[in-house]
Amino acid sequence: MNGDVDPAVKALEARQDEILRKLYELKAAVEGLAKTVTTPDADLDVTVSSSLSSQSSSCAIFKGTTNLDALLGEDLGALRDIVINANPAQPPLTLLVLHGLLCQRYRVLSTVHVHSSVSSVPPQLLSCLGPKHADSYARHMFHLGFTLIWKDVPKLEMKFSVCNMCPIEGEANVARFLFKLLAPYPSDPALATLVDSWVDTGFYQLADGSTKERAAVLRALNSALGRGPWLSGLEFSLADIACYCCLLQNGSASSIAANVQGWMKSCENLGHFGPAKLLLK
Amino acid sequence: MTKEKVNGATEEEQQAQSKKALKKQQKEAEKAAKKAEKQAKLAAEQQSADEDDFAKDRYGLSAMVQSQQKLDRALVRVQDLTAEKVDQLIWLRSRVHTSRAKGKQCFLVLRQQQFNVQALVAVGDRASKQMVKFAANITKESIVDVEAMVRKVEQKIESCSQQDVELHIERIFVISQAEPRLPLQLEDAVRPDGEGEEEGRATVNQDTRLDNRVIDLRTTTSQAIFRLQSGVCQLFRDTLTKKGFVEIQTPKIISAASEGGANVFTVSYFKSSAYLAQSPQLYKQMCICADFDKVFCVGPVFRAEDSNTHRHLTEFVGLDIEMAFNYHYHEVIDSITDTMVQIFKGLRDNFQTEIQTVNKQFPSEPFKFLEPTLRLEYTEAVAMLHEAGVEMGDEDDLSTPNEKLLGRLVKEKYDTDFYVLDKYPLAVRPFYTMPDPNNPKYSNSYDMFMRGEEILSGAQRVHDAQLLSERAHHHQIDLEKIKSYIDSFRFGAPPHGGGGIGLERVCMLYLGLHNVRQTSMFPRDPKRLTP
Repeated sequence: MNGDVDPAVKALEARQDEILRKLYELKAAVEGLAKTVTTPDADLDVTVSSSLSSQSSSCAIFKGTTNLDALLGEDLGALRDIVINANPAQPPLTLLVLHGLLCQRYRVLSTVHVHSSVSSVPPQLLSCLGPKHADSYARHMFHLGFTLIWKDVPKLEMKFSVCNMCPIEGEANVARFLFKLLAPYPSDPALATLVDSWVDTGFYQLADGSTKERAAVLRALNSALGRGPWLSGLEFSLADIACYCCLLQNGSASSIAANVQGWMKSCENLGHFGPAKLLLK
Repeated sequence: MTKEKVNGATEEEQQAQSKKALKKQQKEAEKAAKKAEKQAKLAAEQQSADEDDFAKDRYGLSAMVQSQQKLDRALVRVQDLTAEKVDQLIWLRSRVHTSRAKGKQCFLVLRQQQFNVQALVAVGDRASKQMVKFAANITKESIVDVEAMVRKVEQKIESCSQQDVELHIERIFVISQAEPRLPLQLEDAVRPDGEGEEEGRATVNQDTRLDNRVIDLRTTTSQAIFRLQSGVCQLFRDTLTKKGFVEIQTPKIISAASEGGANVFTVSYFKSSAYLAQSPQLYKQMCICADFDKVFCVGPVFRAEDSNTHRHLTEFVGLDIEMAFNYHYHEVIDSITDTMVQIFKGLRDNFQTEIQTVNKQFPSEPFKFLEPTLRLEYTEAVAMLHEAGVEMGDEDDLSTPNEKLLGRLVKEKYDTDFYVLDKYPLAVRPFYTMPDPNNPKYSNSYDMFMRGEEILSGAQRVHDAQLLSERAHHHQIDLEKIKSYIDSFRFGAPPHGGGGIGLERVCMLYLGLHNVRQTSMFPRDPKRLTP
């Protein structure tokens, strides 16, 4: 062995350095994320999250890939427009949050209409999907259409392909449909059922239930959140989105337990619930 | 022997004859007696009538109104006969819709445009038997002046528009008498078709109506339809004026066919010929080139199309819009659709009475729309039709059945009866349509639909003389014939676009009616030139 280093060794060392560097980055990222879960006041460090993947930061929270063509049917060269009819008296907060997430994942053409069955709606309901996209004159340039119609309907409904699909009724069911455009449900059936169960609890008991029911749900939430950072365990899911929105819709309960408070702060730190909070102002 | 027999026979005959004669005489005498009796009775009645008719001055046939005098008399409108007017003595002028005697009373229904009220002449201290008889004999549709007390009724009168009151007539004069045999009965003309079939009662078919249009237009349904139509025109003008549009009048006698040679009426023009305008298209555009920026016009449009369909007329009222835009023709679409939405809202909010009146005879679903208006692209429409099993090419025009199917699909998905279809294929549009900048197969043109039927065809126009000549050439149009049109764009022309709707068709579709002749006062089609 002389002073010259074998180029092969140099290359190996370079690779080792590279791997170590990546490991440190990953460690920092995980620590950053862990902070947002365990420390209510920490905001998601944008510099950390941007190194996680090529996709945008918030979508990285959903693992697994989805394929619009597989879910919605073959792209026939025209805008695939999802139509949601909602009553202005009960704005669907969960769907607004999901819309925000969809916009980060796909090119979404969002429009809001008022149906002739309603004489007028407050201005915040007209702007709830955000500003008009600059390219909205060319519908075919978008992956997905999200058309929200404020209408005098007894129950929220979604229509997509009138020839092949019957309408989907109820905010819970539409939320499930939209969520699956972002990420698949957990493959473990028990976990998937747990998510669904929390979604139903949110819509039927937290949003629509009596004071007693709501108090019971809050207790259940508190104990579930003692076992893990999110409602279905380690991963953020539709259960968290739905329960957070339903809780928000009902104003503040008299007292919210510690775990639930922490969880609510974590949800807010993710930054997706802006549209929902804006509407409630 | 024979003589005697003959004599005897004659005698018998004579006897028989005299018997017959006697009988005959008796009969005649009876007859004469009866006649005399009757005459005496009549005379007696007449006498008593003359003696007893204390109400002689409170009814009768008025002398023809030739402006003999200026009466300062306030006439109340039937639609104002509500509970508020109870116990007031009022005068009104209306038509006699029906009159029916029942013993010592006569019930009348007095009608004024969309409104009617029950009225009653009863023998009492104000009215005599003769007056009641007179009232019962007034022919239908006669115009009468009536002085009456407004009285409250205990039970609502369902069959009339004024349900809370009835009139107790004190004076009734016929101002204009109608001939007894009407060519059609108004009750029949207002009867819904289904009801007519079920109960075996008559309805009136369209040709009879149109032949006797003056009477048919008196029905409550017709009154409502044309009031609504007036509303459409009014809302169109008001909305556009508010948006800064200027109303223009364009010539209807023109030297060259604007839309294409085939469907144009020729008129003799002194020593040569001229044509009746198929649309104000060319003149609208010239106004834009003349810096009027945003214009609209309301006027007749003449199409010599030998189409005998439910939605074609040879003459109709066109409501046309043209405007210069800044950067994108969607500015024009937005303006037009907003105008349409304002019209729909205006009708929804201010013409419910008329809409309900029409629905009584012609039931239909209320008209639904979205604000802002739904705009779909042609490719989306083709995709929707493909999904529904229709076979058509990407650049094919939409056939009428496909338009209707598309309308149903859009209604099912978006629950709207009004939408815009944007980006039509270039091949199926007129030569002056601006092609799409990115895809030569398509164009900056659009159609608008109500209840699945087309009501407007519009586009960004070619405002460049060079391109216009090329496009005309491509469509094999003789450039000489459209020289003045092309010349308008040679000295600076702003980018512009527009479209036009047919007033009759819009009213028909808004109300959910099925024949455009119902919304045209005196319709013109290949088979009808009068009234």
